[in-house]
Amino acid sequence: MEITQPLFGTDASSTDSAGLCVEGLVTSLNATTPWQLILPASGVFGLTGPSGGGKSTLLSTLAGQRRCRGTIAFASTVWQSGRRALATHKRALSLGFQDSRLFAGQSVADNLALARRYSRRSLPGEECDQLLRDFGIAPLLHQPVELLSGGEAQRVALLRQLFHNAPLQLFDEALSAVERAQVLRRLLPTLRDFWTRHPALVIWTSHDFDEIQLLAQRCLWMECANLSAPMSLTEVARRLEANALGDSCRSRIEARVESLRDGLLSLDLGGVSLYADRVTGHYRNGDTAAFLLDAGDISLSLEKPGLSSILNCLPVTLAGKQGLANGRIRLQLTAAGQMLYADISRLSCERLQLRAGTTYFAQFKAGSLAGL
Amino acid sequence: MTIAAADWQALWLTLKLAGLTTLLLFVLGVPLAWRLSQWQSRWRHGIEILITLPLVLPPTVLGFYLLLLFSPNYASGQWLSQLLGGPLVFSFGGLVFASVIYSLPFMVQPLLAAFNTNGQRLSQAASALGMPPWAALLKVVLPASRAAIVSACALTFAHTLGEFGVVLMIGGAIPGETQVVSIALYQHVEAMEYGAAHRLALMLIGITTVLLLLARWLGHILAPRGSTKESLKPATGVWG
Repeated sequence: MEITQPLFGTDASSTDSAGLCVEGLVTSLNATTPWQLILPASGVFGLTGPSGGGKSTLLSTLAGQRRCRGTIAFASTVWQSGRRALATHKRALSLGFQDSRLFAGQSVADNLALARRYSRRSLPGEECDQLLRDFGIAPLLHQPVELLSGGEAQRVALLRQLFHNAPLQLFDEALSAVERAQVLRRLLPTLRDFWTRHPALVIWTSHDFDEIQLLAQRCLWMECANLSAPMSLTEVARRLEANALGDSCRSRIEARVESLRDGLLSLDLGGVSLYADRVTGHYRNGDTAAFLLDAGDISLSLEKPGLSSILNCLPVTLAGKQGLANGRIRLQLTAAGQMLYADISRLSCERLQLRAGTTYFAQFKAGSLAGL
Repeated sequence: MTIAAADWQALWLTLKLAGLTTLLLFVLGVPLAWRLSQWQSRWRHGIEILITLPLVLPPTVLGFYLLLLFSPNYASGQWLSQLLGGPLVFSFGGLVFASVIYSLPFMVQPLLAAFNTNGQRLSQAASALGMPPWAALLKVVLPASRAAIVSACALTFAHTLGEFGVVLMIGGAIPGETQVVSIALYQHVEAMEYGAAHRLALMLIGITTVLLLLARWLGHILAPRGSTKESLKPATGVWG
């Protein structure tokens, strides 16, 4: 049954009246494992897990596009109670689809204008222009959507959702067809900036854990229709490894922003300055910035090296080592309480005679800090 | 080549009938096809079969039962003539009514096919961006189904143009009221006036050919076009 008005509108008894509260949600997929979920009113949360686990089903159920039972409330408004559901367009949300679903027969500009027109908190014009430039959509504005490539269509679909600027934004593999370098270098920093300026509750579904690591602080895990509570990224990385889904060769590291000049970002990690170049995101001094470091980009030396074109030299402690199937050795290193991985050859490992608990110097180039 | 005034009249009547039927069916067919594409009930198949029936049923069967339905001897006919302000048998109004039923599948089927493939997906996307159902239909689904709308209207128009059996059953051949081109043509052949029959036949061939060309041309201009992507992209790439 469809409710035409939010007649069971405001509900003070809801457990988390400001954010998203899901209780005992049952669909045909999870008849025996009802979903529970409590999230705050704003923040970015990842959602990942093996394929076919029910991630897309959860999103379409939250959006009211799938038959279900249970309770869904968001921002003090009840969306679903028992079998009664509020129509999708009356929910303060936006949902992106894996197949983009751009409005056919219309131009990119028409698609974006429609999303903006039906927004309840419309973005200022300057903000939209900036997003168009950051997403590289400006030259495509007058193209019919049928002529876009897969990656372009995904960027337009994502932008359409940002233009709509709903309080709850659900994304489903929004960047899977976009070139990886663009995603890391340009789109993820833009998204992070955007949600800092326009806070919303965002559920970012992806198989690409790097995207989640760079956007979110915490992540939901869905496996065989079982939904976990939000967990730390370290725990998700462990589960991905256990499912042989991830290759955790990229470490997520957080550091404090010291300065940003001419695209060169200076960061402070436990008293050591790190540098990242070609930075496109906007940062203020004192912000915490997260970046990814590929295990293959790190070299290790026993003593502090002299002046070099490699800008970054970080003292690290060896926590453990593990042989990889390809004959290389993966080192677990810690620096300022954070874990990072470095892959080196077996020969290097034998020559350096690495021992756990000893301090070494990790070197990596300024261009290897990804996602800033 | 001269065409008799009665034949001009028949031609004008035929175009009027086809135009009016297409217009009425468009107004009726869009909401009907939309409701059907959204409806998730087993009754849906029954309704779809009912709508498709005029496609396969001999026109005389349809005409016979419409004749009974319109007959002033029965309550249904009396009620309909009261409702529409005049008898439906042997009248232009009756022809329009019958044509709407007779050509219904030609309007609804192409629309339903388009709504089933694209409409559902796009209306979900539209409602997930806060658009109410009517706005999703008018601003998203219909623009996406332009090609199907053109072909549905062209089919309906062309089909009504050639209507014969149903007209004969319920309309007869009253000049200026119910005598359409196909009936007039038949009457010329019956009277061995082959010259007049040729003229009408050629005219119908001409009109339908123009109609098909028009539909193709419309389909062509409605197809997505734009400057080629290569020319729009800066040479260095958007991401420099």
